[in-house]
Amino acid sequence: MTPKNNILIGVIIGLIVITSYNIDANPLDFVDGFSNLGIILEEILVLENIIDNTKYVPSALLAMFETLQMAFIGTVVGVVIGMPFSMLAARNLNSKFVYAPIRTLLAIVRTFPSILWAILFVIVVGLGPFAGVLAIILYTIGFVTKLQFESIETIDSDPMDAVSSIGVSKFQLIRYVVIPEAASHLLGQMLYMFDYNVRQSAILGIVGAGGIGFFIIQYIKFFEYGKAAVYLFVVLIVVLGIEWISVKIRDKYIVKSQHGMEVTAK
Amino acid sequence: MKQIQMTQNPSFSLISTNKIIQMSDVSTSYDSRNFALEKINLSITRGTNYAIVGQSGSGKSTLLKLMNGMMIPSSGTIKIDYISPNMNNKKFKKMMHTIGYIPQSLGLVKNITVLDNILIGALPRLNKMQSFFKKFPEHEIIEARRIISLVGLTGKENRQAYMLSGGEKRRVAIARALMQKPTILLADEIVSELDHVTAKEIMNLIADAQKKMNLTAIMVHHDMKLALEYANRVAVIKEGHKILEIGVEGDTIVDFQTGDMTTEEIMGMYADDAKK
Ligand SMILES: Nc1ncnc2c1ncn2[C@@H]1O[C@H](COP(=O)(O)OP(=O)(O)OP(=O)(O)O)[C@@H](O)[C@H]1O
Ligand SMILES: [Mg+2]
Repeated sequence: MTPKNNILIGVIIGLIVITSYNIDANPLDFVDGFSNLGIILEEILVLENIIDNTKYVPSALLAMFETLQMAFIGTVVGVVIGMPFSMLAARNLNSKFVYAPIRTLLAIVRTFPSILWAILFVIVVGLGPFAGVLAIILYTIGFVTKLQFESIETIDSDPMDAVSSIGVSKFQLIRYVVIPEAASHLLGQMLYMFDYNVRQSAILGIVGAGGIGFFIIQYIKFFEYGKAAVYLFVVLIVVLGIEWISVKIRDKYIVKSQHGMEVTAK
Repeated sequence: MKQIQMTQNPSFSLISTNKIIQMSDVSTSYDSRNFALEKINLSITRGTNYAIVGQSGSGKSTLLKLMNGMMIPSSGTIKIDYISPNMNNKKFKKMMHTIGYIPQSLGLVKNITVLDNILIGALPRLNKMQSFFKKFPEHEIIEARRIISLVGLTGKENRQAYMLSGGEKRRVAIARALMQKPTILLADEIVSELDHVTAKEIMNLIADAQKKMNLTAIMVHHDMKLALEYANRVAVIKEGHKILEIGVEGDTIVDFQTGDMTTEEIMGMYADDAKK
């Protein structure tokens, strides 16, 4: 370890201490409050409470289904709208005068976390899942385009050059070379985005933008931790399930074709 | 002025109509320091089977890229069928549709099928709707299949391009170029890495197509023997200079020119090589 590294570590520790002080972070608060967690757990884990609360499982599943719908629509629409922007933002396909403003626009869209979009759309279209869907779409556009144009920029320039030399249009180049070459990445990013958006959609209910989060926050507000736990448990199971499925899809379709690319570096 | 030239040289226009590629004093570089090619002069008659030979790094690939507008010379003039290569020029862009180019790396789209790769050659003939929906007219698909059998890939048309052998990939790249209905075919060392038998097969295939379609074929080779065997004219490039051009008819050399260097200079270069 070099002295330079030691200084860096010292600086980081110093920053943690200073910022903790600034945000009022106190380990003692955490220790004191730990017993509260015990009270909640006790309420949740009493056997008769559990049995009693299982009757909320169907309504929790229904709410989770709404969340999945929001995530699905938001992801697909966001990816579809994002795609042309990614094509315009890729440096290997456009001149500076095109990609620079598009990138700036996308960077601005990206600065908003989904919850802020949700608040904005609740104001615009009112409470409910539609506001949540719009929030997910906007968030997806900001986020997935960055992944997309970066992977478009890494595609092999050989087929691009060979096909451009035929004098095809830019649209044809994108349709027949760029998209097939980047397809496995684009599909992987879409799956990743869906995965991520399911989690996000579960939260957006907190600001009234639909989905399961709305119920969870209501129950917590009224100290009904047992019911909240059922809903949280459903979120956990479904998110894990989706994660598992997307890993399977990735292994089956995406990893394989990328392997093929490696084999044919020439 | 122009008129005077014409009267002084009455055969000028007659000769020049046959020249599909003309380069005069063409130099180009990738960076500002070294020339990849320097003061290249050459003219290629329509229908010729032209070969470019030279060592690695001599500038062969660069010369081909100048011929299809993928590179622009830093000085000198190039005319491809009397048009200066320039991607932004509509007329030249149209000409690019019929310049088949097989780069050294082949440039196949790896994750699509053999047939789809070959159909790319027909893209300039599609209208917007057809290309949006990837709907190739029936006669183009028939043509693609005809070329697939010509290059010996029947049965493999639905195979992904990355699953092919090196020789098969070359056949796909050739087929894509033929699908363009080319008037000029530029091929960059497409047989260098192949075994002798396959190399000959592919060279014969191109020679056939060249005769049937009245193609001007310009092929880069590592191997002088192969070049002399198939080409009518062979240009030798060394360190960015064209040093020799040989005209061949059958087994006889009918024309021997030193290019941009004098015979003494060429001899001098070989003497240098000998010392090393
Ligand atoms: N993209 C590039 N950027 C910078 N320099 C390059 C580039 N491509 C080629 N060069 C240089 O230009 C010169 C000529 O290269 P070129 O590829 O034309 O050679 P070549 O005769 O085709 O060689 P080979 O037989 O190895 O393919 C070489 O010195 C090479 O280093
Ligand atoms: Mg080369």
